[in-house]
Amino acid sequence: MNQVPVRHIARQMFTFRTVGLSLFLPLAFSLFVSAQPLRVAVAANAQFVMEPLRAAFQQQTGIGIEPVTGSSGKLTAQIQQGAPFDVFLSADMEFPNALFQNNLTLGAPVLYAYGTLVLWTGPSRGRPIQLGELPGESVRRIAIANAANAPYGEAALAVLHHYKLYEKVQAKLVFAESIGQVNQYIQTGAADVGFTAKSVVLAPGNRHRGYWRQMPVESHRPIAQGAVVLARTGRPAEARRFLLFLKTPTARLILLRYGYRLP
Amino acid sequence: MFYHSIIQQFNQPMWQPFWLTFRLAAITTVVLLLIGVPLAGWLALSRFRLKPLVEAVVSLPLVLPPSVLGFYLLVALSPVQGPGRWLADTLGVRLLFSFEGLVLGSVLYSLPFMVHPVQAGLENLPPSWREAAYTLGRSRTDVLWRVLLPNAKPALLTGIVLTFAHTIGEFGLVLMIGGNLPGQTRVASIAIYDAVESMQYDTAHVYSALLLAISLAILLLVYTVNRRFRL
Repeated sequence: MNQVPVRHIARQMFTFRTVGLSLFLPLAFSLFVSAQPLRVAVAANAQFVMEPLRAAFQQQTGIGIEPVTGSSGKLTAQIQQGAPFDVFLSADMEFPNALFQNNLTLGAPVLYAYGTLVLWTGPSRGRPIQLGELPGESVRRIAIANAANAPYGEAALAVLHHYKLYEKVQAKLVFAESIGQVNQYIQTGAADVGFTAKSVVLAPGNRHRGYWRQMPVESHRPIAQGAVVLARTGRPAEARRFLLFLKTPTARLILLRYGYRLP
Repeated sequence: MFYHSIIQQFNQPMWQPFWLTFRLAAITTVVLLLIGVPLAGWLALSRFRLKPLVEAVVSLPLVLPPSVLGFYLLVALSPVQGPGRWLADTLGVRLLFSFEGLVLGSVLYSLPFMVHPVQAGLENLPPSWREAAYTLGRSRTDVLWRVLLPNAKPALLTGIVLTFAHTIGEFGLVLMIGGNLPGQTRVASIAIYDAVESMQYDTAHVYSALLLAISLAILLLVYTVNRRFRL
């Protein structure tokens, strides 16, 4: 029976820890040396347009952006719990307004674009499914964003009600937690068709990923998208610059290219 | 200079989630060694009326959905109310949406993975060793650190490795209290979810395959080591 003192085990573990830490410390240090980019909470509908916006903003001002995507409602809840974002790009005006009322923002929300709703079909069908086909047998599941969290989901419900389709398709609706998850449902075939943002289907990487039909503007309330600087930001000047940037011709052109309508 | 360029290579945003995951797993394992081993020793060597309750509480994270733990942590650490508010106002500390908050969550979540193997390993040692040490005048602490633990090395190693591996696999908890912040709380499991949600399936494939390979390697290590010690 071997009575190895714990000292030996401790020394072995200490060596492991030393080796491990000495590998991690230089990495951790180098993460600190680079400048902190602006952290922008982006509603999922704008996750793809965020990329050219980020690139243009960095080119113009040298300020980097780190986008974090989610549904407008979830991001708002996180901001209310103190999440460290600098700017919030929502898919509506209500969520940023709620933050503004609670003194969680620097200034009132700024309208930066009107969103456009599309009906997106996966690539296997070969053609876009029309609104009128939704009650039919060939459509089994329709992906829609949860209206409580995602303004585009609310708009999709409005479209269904407007064309008196809601009762006929209600049983087929599948609720995703964000536009991002709607896209995932359509792409993986979990849903035959879904309501998503036009900027998703126009993004360069997504054009071959299915077929889409734009929803008539009059069938839902305009999706007024607001942007706001958050009170928790450590860099208010740079954050405000981004908001101003969204109004510049460069940014507006990018937004137009991605299917948004401009205020 | 060469070393620096290697660091640059591995510092690409693509690999950040993995470094973050490993850092989280490593720190959690160390903390749980400090907390869990004495706890396991106490449970192995003691007999008291409330022992089943203590063991049940320790085992809770095994059974509870991670979202329950995540929800309670969200409520507890929220800076607008309760203990979270005290932490924020008095100490200026915000644990939500931070790496440190993840460490706290991981320690709670992986606690049974350290305590159970070590406790079982200690309990499986012949009681005559313990009793012999007691009759020679050793205290319970001495018995634990100088007699039992040195002979329960496979159990200790199993605890370390399982804790590490389990923390790598954490998802629901991090989703609720993490905030998906790159370089801080976007661990590998979250990065995969993020990639799938933004339809970057090739990134998701790379991350997932890597995690699968690492998890398999870790489990192989555990089973190999345990086999060697069973001779």
